Amino acid sequence: MKRRTKKLLLNWRIILLTLFLIGSIVTLAVRPLTFGIDISGGVALVAQTEHPVDTKTMQLVTDSLQKRLNTLGLRDITVEAQGDQIVLIKVANVTSPEEANQIKSVIESQGVFYMEFAGTVFGTGNDVEYVGIYKINPDNSWSVPFRISKSAAEKFAELAKGKAGWPVDMFLDPPVNSLMIVPESVYKTMNSSEFNANAPEAPTLLERITRAFNISVVAYANQSADEIVKLAQGKDKIVLVDVPGELQTQLEAMNITVRYVPRAQGESDHALIVRVLGLYGPYSLGEGLTVGEPQQDVQITGSAPDRLTAEQEASTIYTVLKSGSLPVKLNVVGMEFISPRLGEGFRTQALYAGIGALITVLLIVYFHYRKWRIAIPVASTSLFEAVIILGFAALIKWNLDLPSIAGIIAAIGTGVDQQIVITDELLGGEKTTRISRRSSMLKRMGRAFFVIFASAATTIAAMSFLLVYFVGTLKGFAFTTILGVLIGILITRPAYAEIAKYLLGED
Amino acid sequence: MSKPKSKAKPTAGDAVRAKKQEKLSFLARMEYRKMIMYPLVVFVIALILLAVNFPTLGIDLRGGVVVTAYGVNANPDELAKYISDKIGVDVRVESFTGVETSGVRVYAPIGTDPLRIIDAMKEKYPAAEYTHSEVQPTFGEIAQQQGIRALAFAFLAMAVVVFLFFRNLVPSLTIIFSALSDMTIAVALMGIFGIELTTATIAALLMLIGYTVDSNILLTTKLLKRKEDSIDKAYLSAVSTGFTMSTTTLGALLILWIISTSQTIDNIAIVLIFGLLADFMNTWVLNAGVLKWYLTREAVRGGKA
Repeated sequence: MKRRTKKLLLNWRIILLTLFLIGSIVTLAVRPLTFGIDISGGVALVAQTEHPVDTKTMQLVTDSLQKRLNTLGLRDITVEAQGDQIVLIKVANVTSPEEANQIKSVIESQGVFYMEFAGTVFGTGNDVEYVGIYKINPDNSWSVPFRISKSAAEKFAELAKGKAGWPVDMFLDPPVNSLMIVPESVYKTMNSSEFNANAPEAPTLLERITRAFNISVVAYANQSADEIVKLAQGKDKIVLVDVPGELQTQLEAMNITVRYVPRAQGESDHALIVRVLGLYGPYSLGEGLTVGEPQQDVQITGSAPDRLTAEQEASTIYTVLKSGSLPVKLNVVGMEFISPRLGEGFRTQALYAGIGALITVLLIVYFHYRKWRIAIPVASTSLFEAVIILGFAALIKWNLDLPSIAGIIAAIGTGVDQQIVITDELLGGEKTTRISRRSSMLKRMGRAFFVIFASAATTIAAMSFLLVYFVGTLKGFAFTTILGVLIGILITRPAYAEIAKYLLGED
Repeated sequence: MSKPKSKAKPTAGDAVRAKKQEKLSFLARMEYRKMIMYPLVVFVIALILLAVNFPTLGIDLRGGVVVTAYGVNANPDELAKYISDKIGVDVRVESFTGVETSGVRVYAPIGTDPLRIIDAMKEKYPAAEYTHSEVQPTFGEIAQQQGIRALAFAFLAMAVVVFLFFRNLVPSLTIIFSALSDMTIAVALMGIFGIELTTATIAALLMLIGYTVDSNILLTTKLLKRKEDSIDKAYLSAVSTGFTMSTTTLGALLILWIISTSQTIDNIAIVLIFGLLADFMNTWVLNAGVLKWYLTREAVRGGKA
């Protein structure tokens, strides 16, 4: 018996299991587990870009979001791009629903900023390198100084050479590549020199936005929805400005993206146009900038009827410049807020549930075999498996969220199943004679492991798609399932087979 | 084998095993035509149930607003009326209880500001713990597509691996059909019990693929590869193992379901329970029936050749 015990303890499968167990416990001790927002508390936001973007643009989006949230003084932020349209933002340590909503509005208010001159976009928010503090003068005029990138400055100098007094426009979230249907009077205003600053000879606002943003403007003259759709061929969306509302329903029924902008009470054509286009300006071009010399330090100036309005205008421009560095518009399409206290509750619950499940497994296995010699190894192997999975998660700093925990449960569940397969194969061999027992036992183990490998392979195959290719929360689930199954077939299952062989009296 | 057993004493465990096998032997005696027919009937019923009563989509797949308050004990209907009056939006309230705490979930249509719901509720329950989430329909749509694709791909991958392992058309197809039927029945039961289809329950359905394939592979392996025993004996030994496997898993899941108040974990547990119950039938009745029929047919063919 002694010899057998020694042989068991020196078996490489047992040694491997022991090593992994010790390693996991040490890892867990020095490097505590990190939990997902749904357990530790915080806010998770899902944002979607207006249209699919390439990897480079996506990188810019995540970088600028990270920067922006950092400037708010938030810590523990992760910004993660998923696919070509989804950005996942997680902020830990958010304590109140109000704070959570504030983060959401910050992300949503971050628009796409364009600087345009004579129908050419010469810079975007990414070209704004620095924004100075705005200044309000006693005459209620204001100015916001900022620095643009060298390339934008060069482009602008070339465009603006000799064009003193021409309008410079800034846009925040203009309806790029769209068809605008506007009332006759609005159309006329856009096509006049009203937005031309001090240069009536410059292209009209209508011409500028058409060239710069591919926005086509059409005066509304009772066109039918069908006619409008024909005009909008190749455009991303249709913007309906102050036209009968039923057009919106008709167009939406035809599965077309429509933005409907009604005129506010007493709103002038001018104000309406500014609002629809997200236009800031136009700002008249001072002579100093028209000599063809690139100048990176520029400023936006304006004047307002009173101090309060001046303050508002200046601070809006300031915020727009400071934050408007996203290359593409983002919409928050989902958010989840979990208070940290609740998260705490979930964590202890998960622990209780885990222990409860383990004890249940122990009792049920005992009930089936009436042998503690089987029940205890089965339950403790499952416990070991959980410890090793958690140790691994701690090692790579995997964020354990609820789906990840579900994955661990899944892996352990299949683990118990497979241990039972091994046990039954071993027990099944008891009745055969001693001589044939050995060869038959090997055969039985081979069969048990065939079952185990086949089911492990199917699970891994099924889950790996989720892991590499899907967005959202199922990733954590797939990861821990695969991890658990791998640890199972490589470490715990072979060790259990040895222990079971030993305890059930087989050599 | 007239020689007496080397270890003559039958242990308590052996007696239990023998008893279990005897209890389950009615399955072995069943005629394979019936074994194939009954589960197919259940599958068709599940399909019909799905057609008339498909589970509702959760807010993460459909879009909407949900506010969860822990530490609130309230009549859902009264609370719904109170909130609806207060904020002027129709809401639906559901209550839940766990071991440590109970609470309510308030569902509101998309566009409702969750903070207004929380403010309204705070007047009544200032000490409660609030969480909220909201999902836009556009993202719900993405999540739906992803979910469907995830299920389809996982299923396909499973099918391919099963084929590679058995390289035998009839048994492989049966395993694949079993898994399909398990999922169908689980989803049908979700519809009956009012469990929503969410990303979490999709995860559970994916898990089912793993669980159900386990027992099916066990059965198929035993019946196809165990040449020293008769079909019935091999079947009984497989079914008793499978029975142990399923009861253990079911027990653990039940505990999980009872202890947890997290909706995610609760829903995953209950969907798995549905699936495992369905799997018991599909593996040990349907799959076994098909395999018996297949093996007897092969034996007859083999005899002729």
